[in-house]
Amino acid sequence: MKTIIILIITALAANNPVWAQSDQYKEAMSAAINTMKSHSEKSPPADMLASANQFERIASAEPTAWLPRYYAGLNYVYLGFMGKDEAEKDTYLDQADVNLKAAEAITPENDELAVLKAYIAQARMVVDPMSRWQQYGPLFQAGLEKAKVLNPNNPRIYALEGSSLMYTPEQFGGGTGTACPVLKQAAEKFATFKPASDLSPMWGEKQIEPMLAKCK
Amino acid sequence: MKAIYTCVKWLGWGENTSTLLIALLLISFLAPAQAVLTGRVTDQRGHALPGANVFLRGTYDGANTDSTGLFRFTSSRRDTATLLVSYLGYKPFSQKITLVQTPSLTIRLTEMANELNTVVITAGSFEASDEKRMTMLKPMDIVTTAGANADITAAMNLLPGTQRVGEQTGLFVRGGSGEEAKVIIDGMIVQNPYFSTMPDIQSRGRFQPFMFKGTSFSTGGYSAQYGQALSSVLLLNTTDKSSNNGMSVSLNLANTALSYDQASEKSSVSATAYYGNLKPLFALVPQNIDWTHVPEFTGSSLTYRLRPTKTGMLKFYGMYSDSKLGMNFLDPSADAGTTALQQRNRNFFTTSTYTDSWAEGKWLLNSGLSYSYDTDATTYSGADFGRGSERLQGRAVLTRLFGHGNAGPNSLLFGTEASRVTIRNTITGNTFSLHDKYGAVFVESQTYLGRNLAVQVGLRGEYSSVIGRFNLAPRLSLAYKTGPYSQVSMAYGQFYQTPDYRYLYRNTTLNYERADHLILNYQVIKNKRTFRVETFYKNYAQLVREFMNQPGSAARFDANPYRFPIGQTNNTGYGYAKGFDVFWRDQKTVKGLDYWITYSYVDSKRLFQQYPVEAMPTFISNHNISLISKRYFEKISTNLALTYTISSGRPYYNPNRDETTTGFLVDRTPMVNNLSFSASHITSIKKNRVVLYASVDNLLNTHNVFTDGKTRYAVGPQSYRSVFVGGMVMLSKKAKVNVNEL
Repeated sequence: MKTIIILIITALAANNPVWAQSDQYKEAMSAAINTMKSHSEKSPPADMLASANQFERIASAEPTAWLPRYYAGLNYVYLGFMGKDEAEKDTYLDQADVNLKAAEAITPENDELAVLKAYIAQARMVVDPMSRWQQYGPLFQAGLEKAKVLNPNNPRIYALEGSSLMYTPEQFGGGTGTACPVLKQAAEKFATFKPASDLSPMWGEKQIEPMLAKCK
Repeated sequence: MKAIYTCVKWLGWGENTSTLLIALLLISFLAPAQAVLTGRVTDQRGHALPGANVFLRGTYDGANTDSTGLFRFTSSRRDTATLLVSYLGYKPFSQKITLVQTPSLTIRLTEMANELNTVVITAGSFEASDEKRMTMLKPMDIVTTAGANADITAAMNLLPGTQRVGEQTGLFVRGGSGEEAKVIIDGMIVQNPYFSTMPDIQSRGRFQPFMFKGTSFSTGGYSAQYGQALSSVLLLNTTDKSSNNGMSVSLNLANTALSYDQASEKSSVSATAYYGNLKPLFALVPQNIDWTHVPEFTGSSLTYRLRPTKTGMLKFYGMYSDSKLGMNFLDPSADAGTTALQQRNRNFFTTSTYTDSWAEGKWLLNSGLSYSYDTDATTYSGADFGRGSERLQGRAVLTRLFGHGNAGPNSLLFGTEASRVTIRNTITGNTFSLHDKYGAVFVESQTYLGRNLAVQVGLRGEYSSVIGRFNLAPRLSLAYKTGPYSQVSMAYGQFYQTPDYRYLYRNTTLNYERADHLILNYQVIKNKRTFRVETFYKNYAQLVREFMNQPGSAARFDANPYRFPIGQTNNTGYGYAKGFDVFWRDQKTVKGLDYWITYSYVDSKRLFQQYPVEAMPTFISNHNISLISKRYFEKISTNLALTYTISSGRPYYNPNRDETTTGFLVDRTPMVNNLSFSASHITSIKKNRVVLYASVDNLLNTHNVFTDGKTRYAVGPQSYRSVFVGGMVMLSKKAKVNVNEL
């Protein structure tokens, strides 16, 4: 009899959200990450928004996890590049900032978040490069510098820096000449980079491939 | 459920155990029995909001709304939960719901106020800001405009509501003289915003455009926070951080400069030093002026910014400049026709400000302290005409913001400012001086009555010790949003200014001069195109009149603007100015091309100073038109800009007329027009970024005449067609350059 009760209680315990949290979290995150991976720059913005929402829901259930906030922010950065006009782009990037701040509150010294911060600055700049250059250029650099201090082996720092240089005119210190060494550095770091977990950020390697092709 | 209970009973367990077990089992078996939540999310008008995020707080249960605003999801939660709905740009919605019976939900979200959907008070103000998205100009525009020569004031002179007065210094706004406009940096009045004035030459502003993140130029009806300007205030807000890192060297036809910037996370320092000499420029550009000592100047500045806390910001700015020049100028009062002028100016200006906020930004503090010292050692034909001024001022403004509500935040601000000014003038060996202690208090509230209507009410009280008088000035502004992209606004206000010190030296019983403004404005900003029209009426009262002899008896008009008023004075002068201006800017139609057109019309008459009858003042031209265009050519990384301006003729004093019989100031100078061009190019030499620029002012070499005034000669510009070339090298790989800064 006692055995049965213990068995039943054990069975119940397995169902209990407190005990099952990490499994549920992992499951939800991998599902969300897989959906996100299925998107490309050609996907409709509604899909990106759905992904961002999905991560924000996980974030609300897991207030101590920074990754859902990180991914939500990343989706909003993508949306920031896709918005139909300046105002819409800025609205998305405002929400990217909201998620970044929430993630930074959980883990202030995080190289991936510093990279995200630089990415947001880059997206802000791209909205209106002529008049935003001065404001967001230094913020972009500052984000990358901070990430380098925290983890010089994070390949996404160099991927972002290299792709930014690739699209900067030569007169401003960009072009293949300066971009390629940085992109190659990124490729080397990607080769040896081991993500902390299955859920950790993994983007960048594929994105720089077409640019590396131009370097030959 | 009943079955489970029966089953337990059947097992024959004891009552105590079974109660516990049943409770456990109930929970366990209820859980998979999922609740289904369905509903629709719309805005207040019932339009579907696709992509809204609908979920239960603290759970993984939720969904996005589809293209028709519908959502459906299941939850394993029991009893009650909090439903959250979020959608960008809308207020988050939350509601406690019971999951047992979940009928289809209809959720209406409320749009949040933002810059696009909320009215802004705009009558009388023209803003250039990086921080606000809905502005008509960006700070960069000041520097990239041809003909402005990177001078803030010159750029402002291309905006609607201004007058171009080629031979005088300052901002001439809607019928106002140069003295009626004040330059204010971070809330502090700048005593000497321009380099020392020389006869018949327009002086540049002392401040570099890059120091400022935002510029707000008021063409009237401005806030109660500011005073002592009858027509206009130019508000300049310094940047919060340095944008460069490293050293840069610049060299052009007029000067050479070194600057160094260093920024860390919490603080930044910028230092500049320059030496200028106009010899190379004058060698190239024929001068209309007989220089005996070509202008030579040197100076330096230091800026330090510190963020001691997350919300606090401390800024310090200090600058010193020293300049020398000598010229023979045409003097109406000199028999020889010319007078030798020697001038050495030394200017020191420092300002420090501290801003902070508390209680999640509900309370804001803006405070500052500034000191300026300026001395001109000037001689006319060897006689001492020195002048000097000193100003110490303090200011504190406390603002309380109230709930964000449905529109912008309502606010109430109160503040005070005080200053001590000492002014000294020497007139052929006789020294006059005066000390004024000035104090002001002000309150202002901004209230949103919905998102379409905003009201700003202010009151300002001032006291000036030199005349021993108080004044109380009300201000009122309204704005109403007429459509998604358009709005109308209105501004009314009374503005007082202490009379010119030249009058106060001899008469301290004078009262404040006063102006009343009424402004109506309509603007549309849509898709990178801006249209704005503004009409105004200004009433001038209590203006100072001077009488050359005894009051009542007419005296000969003295056209020399540098005369020292020796006659009796009183406040019986008056006048008006009325007109309208139109602004059109288009950054959309032709890709890469940005152009704007302004037209300003003003009609004004005054009885003031030594005018024997009411007349249109000499600094007024009825029509001012400017056409500004710029385009960046990416392939050759070159920015080209072209500016064309036209000003109709201005009144001048004709000494051959008898002012009582054949008219006073009835003659008009010819129209003034100017076409200027500028280009800048970026390249790199040995991995150091290099910026090269060139400009031509008065491309067509028009022989403009500013005034035929004085006695029997005409005043024109310092030079006709002029060219300017220069470059800048950034000696740091970190150095950044923006094409729009050139």
